[in-house]
Amino acid sequence: MTTSPDPQALSLTVNDRPVGPVPVPRGTSMQEFLHEWLGLTGARMGCGQGICNACTVMIEEEGKLPREIRTCITGAHWFEGRRVRTVEGHARQEADGSLTLSPVQQAFVEAFAFQCGYCTPGFVTAATVLIERLRQRPVERGQVESVVTEALDHHICRCTGYVRYHTAVRDLVLATPGLVTA
Amino acid sequence: MRGTLLAVTGLVLGGASLAGLVVSGALERSAVSSAVRTPLSAEQVKALAPRGAAIAAAADCYACHTARGGAPWAGGMPFETPFGTIHATNISPSPEGIGGWSRADFHRALRDGIAPGGRHLYPAMPYTSYRGMSEGDVDALYAYLTTRAPKPVANRPNTLPFPFDQRWTLAAWNLLNLPASVADPDPARSALWNRGRYVTEALGHCGECHTPRDITQGLRTRAALTGAVIEGLDAPDITPAGLRRMGFSPASLARFMGLGLSAQGSATHQMFDVVHFSTQHMERADLTAMAAYLFDRDAVEAEAPPALPPPAPVEAAVAARARATYDGLCAGCHGAKAEGIPHVSVALRGNASLRTASPSGFVRAVLAGLPAQSFPGGERMEAMPGFAVDLDDAAIADLANWMRAEWGGQAPAVRPNDIAAVRATLTARHAARE
Repeated sequence: MTTSPDPQALSLTVNDRPVGPVPVPRGTSMQEFLHEWLGLTGARMGCGQGICNACTVMIEEEGKLPREIRTCITGAHWFEGRRVRTVEGHARQEADGSLTLSPVQQAFVEAFAFQCGYCTPGFVTAATVLIERLRQRPVERGQVESVVTEALDHHICRCTGYVRYHTAVRDLVLATPGLVTA
Repeated sequence: MRGTLLAVTGLVLGGASLAGLVVSGALERSAVSSAVRTPLSAEQVKALAPRGAAIAAAADCYACHTARGGAPWAGGMPFETPFGTIHATNISPSPEGIGGWSRADFHRALRDGIAPGGRHLYPAMPYTSYRGMSEGDVDALYAYLTTRAPKPVANRPNTLPFPFDQRWTLAAWNLLNLPASVADPDPARSALWNRGRYVTEALGHCGECHTPRDITQGLRTRAALTGAVIEGLDAPDITPAGLRRMGFSPASLARFMGLGLSAQGSATHQMFDVVHFSTQHMERADLTAMAAYLFDRDAVEAEAPPALPPPAPVEAAVAARARATYDGLCAGCHGAKAEGIPHVSVALRGNASLRTASPSGFVRAVLAGLPAQSFPGGERMEAMPGFAVDLDDAAIADLANWMRAEWGGQAPAVRPNDIAAVRATLTARHAARE
């Protein structure tokens, strides 16, 4: 994304913490802002064209289901006033400073779902968005397989393959109470 | 009293006999000569088939007669019409298709719109255009299609309510809308122009989408090629003025039809299918002829495309809101200056979709996105995401007004209601698919 020199103040909420107002040049991509301003490098630069989805983050809106958004092709200023959750914001920090992985992250570790890990932030985001959606709108057991495929389909992985990601999310959906109807 | 009774009786009888004549088909005029009653020999079929492949491409038979993901030539593609959904039929040489059709049967279907057994075809099949095809070209097409692999795929039923499911009523429709005679070559015009007219009007049947229709759904030939709404989208005006408005010259139009891409952007929506299945496979000479005819020229010479009109003025507040949307959601792929990225996204500066009278094609792309597209020579464009959730009608109206003014030179006239209308057609399409 081409940047123009004129900075514009940007305020948003990232991983429950308010950020800004901070001057950011117009035309800066959200990914660049996360990496260079906030030091949050989890949303990965893959294709830079909105195709691989390694760069996605969650956008959280009051009263709405969270959804994925690609940070490589979306401008930072588009997030003005919005709430965003990056892959760094999924694990819970305990009182003793240790981290407890989110259920999706834990499922990926247990299933050996990733190898190089480059695409993992996007898969964590997509799977978490799916789980949140199913919490509010459960699906029938027979639909789980295709619902998981649909939710992960647009994410590209180039080393492990998709099977372990898919298995991990499917098993998590089936094992979590309230996501599946009888 | 007696006189009135007689007059009424006369009128009723006269009306009834006229209706009888229409229904019986006695008033229908066939364009098919008796010469085609002689079957083609096996050698003739073999010799004609390769040319038939080129005719099939130019007439774009495949795009309609093959469902996406379905067996080639086996039909099944749905068409939304104002009267209901019509499915294209199997035209492979199987019993479900045109297996067993004689040469004369095929000529009658293509040029008169009547299938074996006297069954009228719906004019979704563009026989009113194909009527202008030459006997030799119809023979070549027959030779090609009857030598394809037969596909035993049953035809999908149409969902037309009464009275539109009554095929005999089409005899009356034909009386109104099927041209009685075929235009002869115009000796005052060049061979190029005449060839272009044949390719455009008969083979390419461009008017079926680009010419507006009257209340009977017949083509309003007086307004030929001035643009029409088809399946909720505007097929643009492709008269010389309309083409210049989009930024085309004859040479760049021929290039666009061959490649699907030009400085004016890429072919999108239904026109992408036209390029994909038809025009990219056409002879370059025919594309040039088509461009000559559409621009009403006897020859195509090198000429610069018409200049992009200067930006139109837009209210500062609208421009500021639209610019923020553009920087946030569009510039990542199309560039801060609308220059595009080679092999990824088209340039928007001067893009034809920002210059047409109606913004509907642009608006549908913004709402629903576009699929990834492949073009001749390994060229491609990546998929565009849709922004129906991210942007409301007012935001898209601002965006359309500002982009059309800035990069298309069009005065801002798009209202949120226009966006809502396109959104409604998409919701309806989505519901129909569910």
